Amino acid sequence: MNSLAYPLFILKNHRGFALFSVVVIAALQYLIIELMTTLNTDAFINTIFSQLPERFRLLVSENFIARMSAEGAAAFGFNHPIVLALLVINAINIPTRHIAGEIESGTMEWLLAHPMKRMRILGSLWISGGFLIFLIICGAWTGSFLALAATHHYTYETFVKMLQIGTNLWLLSVLVLSFSILISAFGKEGSRVGMRCAAVILIFYFLHFLGTLWKFLEAIKPFNIFTYYQPQKLMFDERSFWLHLCVLSVLIGLCLIISVKQFQRRDIPG
Amino acid sequence: MPPVVISVEQLTKYFGRTVGIEQISFDVRKGEIFGFLGLNGAGKTTTIRLLLDLLRPTNGRAVIFGLAVLKHSYEIRRRCGYLPGNFTGYGHMTGSDFLSLAADIRGTVPPLQHGLLNRFEISEDTLMQKIKHLSHGTRQKLGIIQAFFHKPELIILDEPTIGLDPLMQEKFYALLRDSKKEGCTIFFSSHNLAEVEKVCERVAIIRDGELVALETLDGLKQKRYRRLFISLRERVDHLELPGAELLKHKDLDYEFLVKGDMNDLIRRLSHLPLENVIFPEPDLEEVFMAYYRSERHE
Repeated sequence: MNSLAYPLFILKNHRGFALFSVVVIAALQYLIIELMTTLNTDAFINTIFSQLPERFRLLVSENFIARMSAEGAAAFGFNHPIVLALLVINAINIPTRHIAGEIESGTMEWLLAHPMKRMRILGSLWISGGFLIFLIICGAWTGSFLALAATHHYTYETFVKMLQIGTNLWLLSVLVLSFSILISAFGKEGSRVGMRCAAVILIFYFLHFLGTLWKFLEAIKPFNIFTYYQPQKLMFDERSFWLHLCVLSVLIGLCLIISVKQFQRRDIPG
Repeated sequence: MPPVVISVEQLTKYFGRTVGIEQISFDVRKGEIFGFLGLNGAGKTTTIRLLLDLLRPTNGRAVIFGLAVLKHSYEIRRRCGYLPGNFTGYGHMTGSDFLSLAADIRGTVPPLQHGLLNRFEISEDTLMQKIKHLSHGTRQKLGIIQAFFHKPELIILDEPTIGLDPLMQEKFYALLRDSKKEGCTIFFSSHNLAEVEKVCERVAIIRDGELVALETLDGLKQKRYRRLFISLRERVDHLELPGAELLKHKDLDYEFLVKGDMNDLIRRLSHLPLENVIFPEPDLEEVFMAYYRSERHE
């Protein structure tokens, strides 16, 4: 059999939205850095900032205000909700459409009647999904590097940090992809599986968000995937990239092992 | 005797507490066109999915080409062609792209594709349309083409003629006969007796997940399940005929299903005040329905 046929089929199916995401994220990165470095924003933002309620100041400073440099802006761009949302949509859509969705529509039955190992289907999805996510992150890198170069803020250290942040974001997105593969391996209705995955990721995101406001939520932070993706802290050496890499890699591995075991033994209904 | 291609032994599948199929056993030999008959929900598709390792059996085993399905399904599927029931394909793809995908997944240049497209009258224009815009019949033709186009040794078809017009059905039966001549083994499920009668040599009848008959077509017909319609001139109390089961009764008209010896039956009939007797030729439909009726009477 042609081992590239199925991965290419997946790439073809999702290239449109992935390319849209690349363009949007690259443009967004460029704009954020360009805007933050060409305006003297310090004075008016500090005035506004001093008048904000304490809890809101905590929240905003976590994300942005305390780091008004070009590097801070670049890191903030990698954590922008639009960037995360586009990556999560791509990461959830690929497996849910091709596993649960195809089981629901009956095409999985057709596919698995071919000389195609179940493991290969999951592997193809993971590799194709991972590749598309990588392309989107390349878009973010391109936007960032172009803007840093255009505003004369490009340094080797920033370049290395941006590579680390991008890799960290790729791992986080691939974890969402692997988690979606896991949920899809158990489910059989594409739309429901997609909703479930999205709901779980959204809950993690809100818990992480609320954790910055309320101290009592700190205890659950180590169990939240977004704790292992904090680009601004990575940029300013406040978190260990290697810790993030290890934790996310282990979680990805676990999701994949359980997915493969479940998908190998499950019945494929029509 | 040709070698066995499909061997099924005590194959059982439960879905939770629901019985899918129970202790089904049969063999299909090389070059045979084997019909798998049953009403909707009888277990035909479940059996086919077990043969292709899409479902995992609760008990029993299936062997194809001498290889256990559970262990060697990859090798088996490489040598098989399959048309699923209610075939839809990928709606967003064109027919041409879909056939290319099917060929690419198999890693072959399908030798029969061009001939099959001509046989089923699928034009280039039709192939360039998205599958979701094609009629049900054209989609089904595409499904049949992808099941045959790589010249497989075994073809498994789940209700293949659904959606085909009578002309295309005839072309499909001709394709089955041609494939058989080339040594291909064909296993197909249907609830249409007429088509099975046209092309199959042997049939299995499945009812509520159990195999109730496994016969050659001639053997099945020889069971001589026939309907008998009689009209009487006057009322007869508790009319019973030897070897016949009363199906319907209205006033002086009776309808029987005859299963037993004709001589006893005719002797009994000769003593009745008959107005009219209709005793048509036996057909397979009657045999098939008899298997289903007997269950309800039990």
